[in-house]
Amino acid sequence: MTYEEFADARLAPLLRYAVMLTGDPHQAQDLVQETMVRVQLNWRRVARADSPERYVRRMLTNQYVDWKRGSWMRRVLLRGEPDESLPAPADHAQSAVDRDQIWTWLSRLPRRQRATLVLRYYEDLPDAEIADILGCAVGTVRSSISRALATLRAEYVEVRS
Amino acid sequence: MIEDDLRAAFARHEPLTPPTGPLRAAIDRLTIRRRRRRRRWQAGGTALALLGVLGLGVPLLTPERGGPPPAAELLGESARPVPPGALNILLLGLDGDGPAATRADAVLLVHIPADRSRPYLVSLPRDLGVSVPGHGTDKLNSAFPSGVGSSRPEMTKGYDLTRRTVAELTGVQVDAGVVLTYRVLSTLTDAVGGVPVCLPDQVRSVHTRRVFPAGCHRLDGAASVDLLRQRYGLPEGSQDRDRNARLFAAGLVRQATDRGILTDPVRLAKLLTVVGPDLVVSPDRAAVLNLLRLVPTLRTVEPVGLGLPVVGPTARDRHLRVDPTFAPEFLRALREDRLGEWADRHPALVDVAR
Repeated sequence: MTYEEFADARLAPLLRYAVMLTGDPHQAQDLVQETMVRVQLNWRRVARADSPERYVRRMLTNQYVDWKRGSWMRRVLLRGEPDESLPAPADHAQSAVDRDQIWTWLSRLPRRQRATLVLRYYEDLPDAEIADILGCAVGTVRSSISRALATLRAEYVEVRS
Repeated sequence: MIEDDLRAAFARHEPLTPPTGPLRAAIDRLTIRRRRRRRRWQAGGTALALLGVLGLGVPLLTPERGGPPPAAELLGESARPVPPGALNILLLGLDGDGPAATRADAVLLVHIPADRSRPYLVSLPRDLGVSVPGHGTDKLNSAFPSGVGSSRPEMTKGYDLTRRTVAELTGVQVDAGVVLTYRVLSTLTDAVGGVPVCLPDQVRSVHTRRVFPAGCHRLDGAASVDLLRQRYGLPEGSQDRDRNARLFAAGLVRQATDRGILTDPVRLAKLLTVVGPDLVVSPDRAAVLNLLRLVPTLRTVEPVGLGLPVVGPTARDRHLRVDPTFAPEFLRALREDRLGEWADRHPALVDVAR
């Protein structure tokens, strides 16, 4: 497989994945750009992997998890307005609040936990593959999912009460 | 359930995903910029580097359609004087044995400045989108087959159209030219007794299934051609092929130097006899032969490698394009014989040989 073929097939899914990780189209673009430049420069090594697709996803996930907090914060401060391209909520007010709240809560999670949630509930990957991508044990994947869900549930309870 | 809410939240935010087109272009641009910074040597193509490394390559491959040249010519007693001023020699490495349907995948201008300080190698990427006279816009490597034509294919016509294309692109006058085929490359390799090459990575030939393991080899003519053809299956395609060609060229020059072939008129004549019959040259044998007499006048034969600055393909156009920032200045320097100054001003864009 050449880099071009890989990019043709995988760039869009990777970008969607990055949007779910970062919760922000601009940061997602930066993340994918940085990763794919490295992929292209080191294509030989990437292509040797059993599954280049998974290898690149791992690169991107690590990049996201390790991303320097400094630049991250600065970007967030520069652009305050949230997601205007979102479809307007059609339901009643409380439900809309709930919906946007879950997205907001996601952004407060540690990045590794958020990545685990995205891989499990957006990409629908089995635990073993998630563990491979994050470079940890399957047990760690499960515990970080349950910890993340517990955090989200606690937020729910707080809002409802 | 919170899991369902999560899935719904992710699905709802999918429309946030931006289009990939501009991103793809940005990735390619950035990659090229970083690669240029990273790459230490970027001469391109099969025969390009082969001839380029010394600039000696040209006289070495002087045409020999009618037997060996008289020793007198080789010794510099030819009737025509070496032209003064800067010289530009066009080298084409063909992807085959020609003439029909063969692209020129290696396009290199050897620039010899008027002060005869050292040769400059200007590589022109084969995927550059250029205006081919009479054939619209196409990749540079397609000018050769377009010129050769299909009715009565002739390599000289292919060379000529490529020469005009390059002249239009760069604005320089091309003083002489050489076309190399696989056969010439192979004969030349065998004539010098094989070429040592050390490969950083394994190469598997898609043509012969031969595997060249990483490490050092001494290649004969057939193996050399096989190796230098490999682009498909290499992770970075023609980039990697260029690198292999570069390694090969360095090996060839080392071998020819070790054997004293480059400085021995008798052995050179013998070599030309072997290689000669397939070689296409422009404008004629004597003109190219004359260049041989330049070699001793150069202060150093170590070349300076320069690539024409290009930018990557855009979403709409898959050709490479000349870099609007650097290329105009670069081409002006080439036309006005000021490449030395240009190289000093832009050290990042100069190859570092070895």
